[in-house]
Amino acid sequence: MSGVDEDVTFVSRVDPRSASFVENRAHQESLVQELRERLSVAAQGGPAATRERHVARGKLLPRGRVEALVDPASPFLELSPLAATGLYDDEAPGAGIITGVGRVMGREVMVVANDATVKGGTYFPMTVKKHLRAQEVALENRLPCVYLVDSGGAFLPMQDEVFPDREHFGRIFYNQARMSAAGIAQISAVLGSCTAGGAYVPAMSDEVVIVKNQGTIFLGGPPLVKAATGEVVDAEDLGGGLLHARVSGVVDHLADDDDHALRIVRRIVDQLAPRSPSPWPIVASEEPRCDPRELYGVVPQDSRTPFDVREVIARLVDASQFQEFKARYGTTLVTCFARIHGQRVGIVANNGVLFSESALKGAHFIELCDQRRIPLLFLQNVTGFMVGKAYEEGGIAKHGAKMVNAVACARVPKLTVVIGGSFGAGNYSMCGRAYSPRFLWMWPGARISVMGGDQAAAVLASVRRDQLESRDESWSQEDEESFKAPIRERYEEQGNAYYSTARLWDDGVIDPLDTRTVIGLALSACANAPLGDVAYGVFRM
Amino acid sequence: MFDTVLVANRGEIAVRVFSTLRRMGIQSVAIFSDEDVDARHVREADLALHVGPASARESYLNIERVIEAAIAAKAQAIHPGYGFLSENATFVRACEQAGLTFIGPSVEAVEIMGDKIRAKTAAVAAGVAVVPGRAEPAMSDEDLVEAATEVGYPVLVKPSAGGGGKGMRVVTSFENLRASIVSARREAFASFGDETLFIERYLTRPRHLEVQILADHHGQAIHLGERECSLQRRHQKVIEEAPSPFLDDVTRRSLCDAALRVGRAVEYRGVGTVEFIVSSERPDEFFFMEMNTRLQVEHPVTEMVTGVDLVEQQVRVAAGEPLGLRQGDVRLRGHAVEARLYAEDPSRGFLPSGGELLFVKEARGEGVRVDSAMLAGTRVGTTYDPLLAKIIALGSERVEALARLDRALAESITLGVVTNTSFLRTLLANADVRSGDLDTLLVERVLEVSNADETFDEAPSMDVLAGLAVTRLFQLEESSSRRSRFDVPDGWRVGDHAATRWMLLTNRDAAVEVSVVGNWREATVSLAGAPSTSASVRCFQCRALDERTYELLVSVAGRTSRMVVALEGRRTWVWANGVTTLLRPAPPTRGRDERDDRDGEVRSPMPGVVIEVSVAPGDEVERGDAMVVVEAMKMEHALYAPLAGVVTEVSVSVGDQIVVDQVVALVGAAFEASSP
Repeated sequence: MSGVDEDVTFVSRVDPRSASFVENRAHQESLVQELRERLSVAAQGGPAATRERHVARGKLLPRGRVEALVDPASPFLELSPLAATGLYDDEAPGAGIITGVGRVMGREVMVVANDATVKGGTYFPMTVKKHLRAQEVALENRLPCVYLVDSGGAFLPMQDEVFPDREHFGRIFYNQARMSAAGIAQISAVLGSCTAGGAYVPAMSDEVVIVKNQGTIFLGGPPLVKAATGEVVDAEDLGGGLLHARVSGVVDHLADDDDHALRIVRRIVDQLAPRSPSPWPIVASEEPRCDPRELYGVVPQDSRTPFDVREVIARLVDASQFQEFKARYGTTLVTCFARIHGQRVGIVANNGVLFSESALKGAHFIELCDQRRIPLLFLQNVTGFMVGKAYEEGGIAKHGAKMVNAVACARVPKLTVVIGGSFGAGNYSMCGRAYSPRFLWMWPGARISVMGGDQAAAVLASVRRDQLESRDESWSQEDEESFKAPIRERYEEQGNAYYSTARLWDDGVIDPLDTRTVIGLALSACANAPLGDVAYGVFRM
Repeated sequence: MFDTVLVANRGEIAVRVFSTLRRMGIQSVAIFSDEDVDARHVREADLALHVGPASARESYLNIERVIEAAIAAKAQAIHPGYGFLSENATFVRACEQAGLTFIGPSVEAVEIMGDKIRAKTAAVAAGVAVVPGRAEPAMSDEDLVEAATEVGYPVLVKPSAGGGGKGMRVVTSFENLRASIVSARREAFASFGDETLFIERYLTRPRHLEVQILADHHGQAIHLGERECSLQRRHQKVIEEAPSPFLDDVTRRSLCDAALRVGRAVEYRGVGTVEFIVSSERPDEFFFMEMNTRLQVEHPVTEMVTGVDLVEQQVRVAAGEPLGLRQGDVRLRGHAVEARLYAEDPSRGFLPSGGELLFVKEARGEGVRVDSAMLAGTRVGTTYDPLLAKIIALGSERVEALARLDRALAESITLGVVTNTSFLRTLLANADVRSGDLDTLLVERVLEVSNADETFDEAPSMDVLAGLAVTRLFQLEESSSRRSRFDVPDGWRVGDHAATRWMLLTNRDAAVEVSVVGNWREATVSLAGAPSTSASVRCFQCRALDERTYELLVSVAGRTSRMVVALEGRRTWVWANGVTTLLRPAPPTRGRDERDDRDGEVRSPMPGVVIEVSVAPGDEVERGDAMVVVEAMKMEHALYAPLAGVVTEVSVSVGDQIVVDQVVALVGAAFEASSP
């Protein structure tokens, strides 16, 4: 399906001069503007004074480190840059850590960089979660890990939320050991403190670089040593670069400064064993023929207004070409084969509420893609499965379960973008976070919750009314309204994309215009991991 | 007429002689040294013979080998070009003995004119003046006064010893003479311990004029007019023209007559040049300096205005033919100016540059002639003369010739080797040059201004930076597998896109940072530092001319122009707006700590040949100790230890040819052991 194929080239029916288009665009632009501002603020890291102090010591800021590490001009797929937004009094922009997939010497790697300007790079609960998520991405996609360490360890005031549990601080080192065992390289550059637990990041790495007179590694810092044994020793003598490079052997390379250290890391990456070949063929990329900038006008302002999701697909895929599968069956779900940046994808996109037929079609298509080694892309805009007697009678629960099953078991990489609503069981069948898509992003106007705020308020109000009525108490219209308002408000707040991304329910909020790039980068990252075997044939449902 | 002629030379002159031989239906034979195996002159000859190693003395100056080559090639004659053996009487004799015709004058003429004193005596005998003066041992004050009167004012009083202008006095009249003699003696004694003084006529703002003469074996001699070569840097001619803008017809006639008299005095045959010096203030009073018994570098300006092929005339005369033209046939048409393109770096005191020619495009067009030996893919070394090419423009008037020459220089593209093009264009733009108000010191005055106004310190222009950015990004994309979004070099980020940065060195080694946000098609290019500047750049086309050279159509801040960019490793050559710029990467900065244990790299600041290596691995050195000596253009440059320590590596040995910035040795710093 490469080259010109008029059969499958989508012809847009959108009128960019229509009033609704112009309104939608204005709305989307304001959402994207807000996103840009939030990203810009978060990208700065800690307070200005702290940053200045950091730079004055001759250190690069964490973003500068990432720039110096990755290949010149190469893209960098950062994950959850708005983590911890609205948490911890907003004192931990990006949760104090930068993670993402970047190219180093032509090789895709996972970069994890502490931001020492944010509370000394210490680990808040979301920092731990973000670090672990990065490792999960690295593991699933077999990406070598580069840790740019500059951290004081756990954020002590919140030790109960970062230390003891399974998915807490210790898991980082567990992951390092397991990944190293699986042949996924673990590389550290110690560019600042690595105290206590933090010391294990380099210690658990395959190869370590340290910057002299700057990086330190010790289990207990000078104050703790003094308290414990009375020994008085300064940080450099206790765990400085020269000591570890010449005496302890904790590090392998001694660097003069950040730039030098990062150059050494680049050479280390260059010496790694070759990656495994892409599990699927890749051809030359083609730009969409439908102008991607029209995405802003295509998606309605109000998520309840229906729109043809093909208009979105056409603006994401190569040459705006896609072949639909079962176009006339279960039409509230669009399934199609296409390419994005030269890589084949099977797209599953909501085009209305899910019926049994839509679910069966989805399950069939997912199995088909799995058989054919075609990665799946879910475009979520789902209010859920259809409810009502007729549908329950028709077994919508079991049909929906088939799709959920297919989603859960497909071995091909799954990528999810929430472009509208993500509600109820629709979230499951469309590969929500719980279904371990390799990556998941939200558009700024997307919403996620178990059900809509109105529905939740109505359900809870009717339960409440039943209680009151059973006690023969009356409930005025106003009382009911004041009962429902805060529920709606809470759903409004918690369903917001920024609420989601702050808690790592996704891998980031993205500008719709960047979707094609993000998917292209993610597919490249996914292609690093070989595919397992398929256990079953395709069921015709 | 000969059927085969060997050209005992290399470079542009060999190429130029071949073209006439080809036109005359004569087979051409080239000779070459080890260094020139793939040179252009080797390719353009019908046959090329190897004569020895790179050293000129063992190859191009090796008379025995050259004669052997001529005999082996069955040549009947040898054209010596200029330089090398062209004025070597021994060679002329050797040719005669071998039965070969030397395309040039007789041995006697070569010998006389090769001897300064005999040449001057011959000129004076022919009634041609030389610069008046008296230089006798131990002249008293009275002798000097008498000599001054005899020589005529203004006079130059100068010490017999020393140089550099010390003790020199210009005296314009008798009244000041005695005082000047006293002070000059005092200064001469203080400086050189010798108070002996000479006296000669002082030529105010001297100009260099020369006359092209042509004579045959049958007693006919004509002149082909004069050339002016007053634009010189350290006695090396830079820009030459014909005719001279300085002479009126009367003076021209008497100057040319004088030249012919000198030629006749030595029974000259072939083409020769009689050089004169003239004060700007006394056009009618010219003095003989010397006669060059060969073809001159600047002969094309005469060819352009007369339409006579001087090489053809040389060959015909050598073959015994009588001159085919009379004096009356020689008509000057228009004005011609020549500029010499040298492989030297004006921003580094005209040090020879050298390097590999990555891309060459010679100027073309109405009235433009290029005599060149440049060929892309060949190396320009520092073994021989750094002349790469001569660009000559003919115009109906001088102003047109100058304009055409400037355009031709702007359109000449030589990437890979730093040239003096920008300096030549600076000269052509100079008001005195434009008005023809020349003298032999003008170039130095222009250079003083250029040095003072920091012309050489300027950061590269926005256009040049845009050329670099676009090409580097384009090349990154081209060289990638282009199978992944990661292969698109646009610095894409979820939020604000990342800038791609290059740290570059200016001509004078200051580091500047250029950063680019965007992709090769569309980007914002900024130059960091105060005042920081930026421009929006659009590239409409980027086309690979070969594996490392690209042609661009780029719009910078709304102005669109064509550029040619070559990538040589991390170095970038940009030709934009008629100017070629070399952008060198700043070496990575390392370490903030002076007493750290990093290795010290010893790099050569210029290309050349290693002539001495005074250290070996394991040797202890102090900071500043000389480690390696490099020779380039007969100058020796010591490379010093950048820090105290132990030599860990020496990567060159004596005789190695090295390139600019090549690491020749490493020094590991002395480490103060303080650990257990």
